[in-house]
Amino acid sequence: MPVAASAIYFLNLRGDVLINRLYRDDVGGNMVDAFRMHIMQTKELGTCPVRQIGGCSFFYMRISNVYIVIVVSSNANVACAFKFVVEAVALFKSYFGGAFDEDAIRNNFVLIYELLDEIMDFGYPQNLSPEILKLYITQEGVRSPFSSKPTDKPVPNATLQVTGAVGWRREGLAYKKNEVFLDIVESVNLLMSSKGSVLRCDVTGKILMKCFLSGMPDLKLGLNDKIGLEKESEIKSRPTKSGKTIELDDVTFHQCVNLTRFNSEKTVSFVPPDGEFELMKYRITEGVNLPFRVLPTIKELGRTRMEVNVKVKSVFGAKMFALGVVVKIPVPKQTAKTSLQVTSGRAKYNASMDCLVWKIRKFPGQTESTLSAEVELISTIAEKKSWTRPPIQMEFQVPMFTSSGLRVRFLKVWEKSGYNTVEWVRYITKAGSYEIRC
Amino acid sequence: MAPPAQSQRSHSPSQPSGKGEVSDLKMQLRQLAGSRAPGTDDSKRDLFKKVISYMTIGIDVSSVFSEMVMCSATSDIVLKKMCYLYVGNYAKYNPDLALLTINFLQRDCKDEDPMIRGLALRSLCSLRVPNLVEYLVGPLGAGLKDGNSYVRMVAAVGVLKLYHISGSTCVDADFPALLKHLMLNDPDAQVVANCLSALQEIWGLEASSSEEAVREREALISKPIIYYLLNRIKEFSEWAQCTVLELVSKYAPPDSNEIFDIMNLLEDRLQHANGAVVLATIKLFLQLTLSMTDVHQQVYERIKAPLLTLVSSGSPEQSYAVLSHLHLLVMRAPMLFASDYKHFYCQYNEPFYVKKLKLEMLTAVANESNTYEIVTELCEYAANVDIPIARESIRAVGKIALQQYDVNAIVDRLLQFLEMEKDYVTAETLVLVKDLLRKYPQWSHDCIAVIGNISSNNVQEPKAKAALIWMLGEYAQDMQDAPYALEGLIEDWEDENSPEVRLHLLTAVMKCFFRRPPETQKALGAALAAGLADMHQDVHDRALFYYRLLQNNVSVANSVVNPPKQAVSVFADTQSSEIKDRIFDEFNSLSVLYQKPSYMFTDKEHQGPFAFSEELGNLSIGSEPADDILPAQRVEANDEDLLLTTIEKEENRAHGNNDSAYNAPAYDSSLSQLAVSQTDGELLSLDQTVPADAPQPSSAIDDLFGLGLSIAPSPAPSPPLKLNSKAVLDPSTFQQKWRQLSVSISQEGSLSPQGVAAMMSPQALLHHMQSHYIHCIASGGQAPNFKFFFFAQKADEPATFLVECIINSSMCKAQIKIKADDQSASQAFSALFQSALSKFGMA
Repeated sequence: MPVAASAIYFLNLRGDVLINRLYRDDVGGNMVDAFRMHIMQTKELGTCPVRQIGGCSFFYMRISNVYIVIVVSSNANVACAFKFVVEAVALFKSYFGGAFDEDAIRNNFVLIYELLDEIMDFGYPQNLSPEILKLYITQEGVRSPFSSKPTDKPVPNATLQVTGAVGWRREGLAYKKNEVFLDIVESVNLLMSSKGSVLRCDVTGKILMKCFLSGMPDLKLGLNDKIGLEKESEIKSRPTKSGKTIELDDVTFHQCVNLTRFNSEKTVSFVPPDGEFELMKYRITEGVNLPFRVLPTIKELGRTRMEVNVKVKSVFGAKMFALGVVVKIPVPKQTAKTSLQVTSGRAKYNASMDCLVWKIRKFPGQTESTLSAEVELISTIAEKKSWTRPPIQMEFQVPMFTSSGLRVRFLKVWEKSGYNTVEWVRYITKAGSYEIRC
Repeated sequence: MAPPAQSQRSHSPSQPSGKGEVSDLKMQLRQLAGSRAPGTDDSKRDLFKKVISYMTIGIDVSSVFSEMVMCSATSDIVLKKMCYLYVGNYAKYNPDLALLTINFLQRDCKDEDPMIRGLALRSLCSLRVPNLVEYLVGPLGAGLKDGNSYVRMVAAVGVLKLYHISGSTCVDADFPALLKHLMLNDPDAQVVANCLSALQEIWGLEASSSEEAVREREALISKPIIYYLLNRIKEFSEWAQCTVLELVSKYAPPDSNEIFDIMNLLEDRLQHANGAVVLATIKLFLQLTLSMTDVHQQVYERIKAPLLTLVSSGSPEQSYAVLSHLHLLVMRAPMLFASDYKHFYCQYNEPFYVKKLKLEMLTAVANESNTYEIVTELCEYAANVDIPIARESIRAVGKIALQQYDVNAIVDRLLQFLEMEKDYVTAETLVLVKDLLRKYPQWSHDCIAVIGNISSNNVQEPKAKAALIWMLGEYAQDMQDAPYALEGLIEDWEDENSPEVRLHLLTAVMKCFFRRPPETQKALGAALAAGLADMHQDVHDRALFYYRLLQNNVSVANSVVNPPKQAVSVFADTQSSEIKDRIFDEFNSLSVLYQKPSYMFTDKEHQGPFAFSEELGNLSIGSEPADDILPAQRVEANDEDLLLTTIEKEENRAHGNNDSAYNAPAYDSSLSQLAVSQTDGELLSLDQTVPADAPQPSSAIDDLFGLGLSIAPSPAPSPPLKLNSKAVLDPSTFQQKWRQLSVSISQEGSLSPQGVAAMMSPQALLHHMQSHYIHCIASGGQAPNFKFFFFAQKADEPATFLVECIINSSMCKAQIKIKADDQSASQAFSALFQSALSKFGMA
């Protein structure tokens, strides 16, 4: 039994019920109270996302200022339940247009009830695909697609689409201009020791697509990944240095991708859903190019003074640049005064985060920038060595750069009417958790 | 769409009663009910929204039920949905009013729009009013045969809903068979999936009462159905795939070719974007290959990458779920992730629960090659700002040290922790150093040097304090000022809140005394005096025990307190391998997260750590009323017995403190009353038969003195075994004997389903067994697990047999444990017991 959720609740941070939907009678009506009493109002909150109270298990997730709670009374599949919540939230977001928070829920609660009815029946997940649901649950919702007059063109197949086999695309789409947008978005995670050695470093990437294509097109995507290239040319390529071939540790695909063909021919071929979707996700641990090097030196001079010196080097191509670079350098709680000097950007002391926040809006490649700061501390008697230095954290975005070196080699669109398409490809690398211990 | 007006209202902490508003709404709805003017639907919508929003925040709006129903005559689908939602919520509590809705729901079930038909059918099934089920059968039957897949999909789940309201109606209408037909023939995958879910649940629940259901449940995992579903796997939605994969994991293919076929077919599922599908596939692969060791290993290799991806992608909650599974796997195959340990390094911003599991993973994957890196990383966390994580990290370092052979470097690191001079770090480290010393006494020299410098004033946590005191006692001769440190601690006896620490203190002083008598004598005196005056029973008892021991013979006391110790080679595993296997069988479910098999948290019976004690206390105690029995054969309570009972009672109490499973405090008083009431009758019975229970109390005394059981005479077994038809045993004696005796025979057998059904009325079983002179003393449990305790006595001598019988009604299994005074006769008794059970199809 995958989920068989007995009830689902949406609560705000104070514990007020925003939405409640009871699917089964096997849990009492006071489940919300149990959740409030035993989880929200205790220190337990946030220590574990799965809790058992009485005979029931509670799965809860916080999303912005809302708690979503699933209650089950049996031995449920946890991974499935959490995935369901994540998917449901994505669905709601696609309906509300972006934000998912308390206000959005209050403004759309009728819609949410409608959706909850469709996406889960008696605790079993049903269809969660926004593409299909939007066919018959509309914000106006005046009429169902079935009740429309028989002369209306696009609906004859609607019944099939509600539950049908090609769940992600409906027939009869037509665009004047056929366009495909493809984004490779990578987030690079780094954990560097205070001695400058890389403890852990990997890239999680995803390929996002936006398709505005007519008919039922077949797409084929070629990347410079090792397996794909090997299969294609049967040439054994050397391990990459120049970013020519990339070894993907693991790949997962959107359900539209023909996995059998991927396994036999190593090509990514698919009939895309209409509009935006995530085509694939991948993970890479070998041969990651770090876009930034951070060299911190922090000296504690006596009890009340500290000297902080942080040098940041950009190691990507000189023609590229990073945007929105933020470096957060932790300082002790008892910081009294700071004097900061930077070679570029702006820096200031943020007392609520106990950090020096250094922002550089545009950071060109192959350059370096330094921050030097003097920090004065209030002398305290009680704690001698209490300051355990949290790591320096960094945020950035580097357009047209991939840490993994992954590149799109081709993107072919084939449709029986043979129209021309315009393809757009973009790359961007963001900081995931980029931490440097000091 | 205007925001509902309740937003401000619900911001105030006390929610309004809404009485005025509700009656306003009622008025307005009534006005609109008959109106056909244009724009009516819009105003209805606003009103309905208000009603729903009141309902959500908990205001009772059931009073507008009839108005809502009147307004429901509309073609606006959103209005209809709101109305259905409202009706579904209140119908259960207003069954009479619910009848009003049947009419319009039934009409909607015949609407030409399949969407409306589906919605109406869903709402009709969600009314949950038992006396309306007759109205459900017709529309459901039509729904299952509807031309539109949306309606069939709803109807399939509707059948399940009906089953939960009234199982008999559902089965009588032959809906399960219809579902099965749909499942095997419907072109729409979601309909198939819903039929499958419904059938699994229905047959699963029916199986306890009907043999046909058992057969049907088995049929679901038969080859044709499994292959049919597998061949369509790609048509299913991701959630339905999870259901199917779960089902397939119960299927046992007859040969290895088939296993490979299935795995080849499903290998691409490991690349699915939905983590739940990936996990379900992993479970299937692991289950399929359990009997093929090398393939099983290959599976581990294959699933590694997808699992690591799942850990690092998705929300922290999802990572948590996946990490729990990784932990389970790594316990079974520690080498699996040994080279990937860096994946389990914690990130600064991760929530506590993820970090904690990652630390456990790091501990589990540590081996000779990666220990250095892992311990280095863990030491970073020990200096972490987050105190709980710092503690966990230190514990992790300690666990690694206890796993490894080369602990040299680790001991140094641990000792460095002590120099950090943070209370919590010191506390955790002390506990670890103690455990380390128990395993590696050779390190005592290095450790003691450091420990000796720690002032006990800086250690506050009971566990750490106890550890420090233990070391002070154990290594008194190596630590210069051990006696004085202990003396200091004894001076603060009154301020010491934890009995655990006081107990350790007593023992440590004793140990120290035998090693350095002149320096410790004064402290020992003070400690014993303080201990004797202690309010805590255990502390008092231990002090008294030491006192008497010293009084009796000092050298014996020394050998009791300071026996030669052997290093602990392996610390006991907290979980039996049987339990671990059961958890593994339930891979991809809550069991893995809770680290216990599902019966422990879904069955009411197991919700406590081990709820048997209450069971004995509350459930049918002593199934035979005492009056039916000859007084002569009751417990013979003479003076000696009375004395013995008090000893028993004390023992009971002590066990209670030790969380023993079998304490039943409620008995103490009743027992003594019983004993007292019987003193008058005692003389009469003295010369009659040998008192049935006499050997038991005396064996209790033997046990107390550690002499073991020798009293029960053990004559050569004389088959055929005859049982005493009027055997008597009181519950507390039973408990006591159960504790003392070891299991002489433990067996498992299967029962026929009819037999289980017959047993479902427990009295039948009890009477039946009684006719074989086997008496029930206690029973309890809830479906599917029932537990019975039986006893019997030999006809010619007072040897007792005790039986624990656990019956699992859903699996039709019986598990029997027999304990006997006379071990040699237990085989014969077991045969007797089983032949008695054979009426229930025990094989």
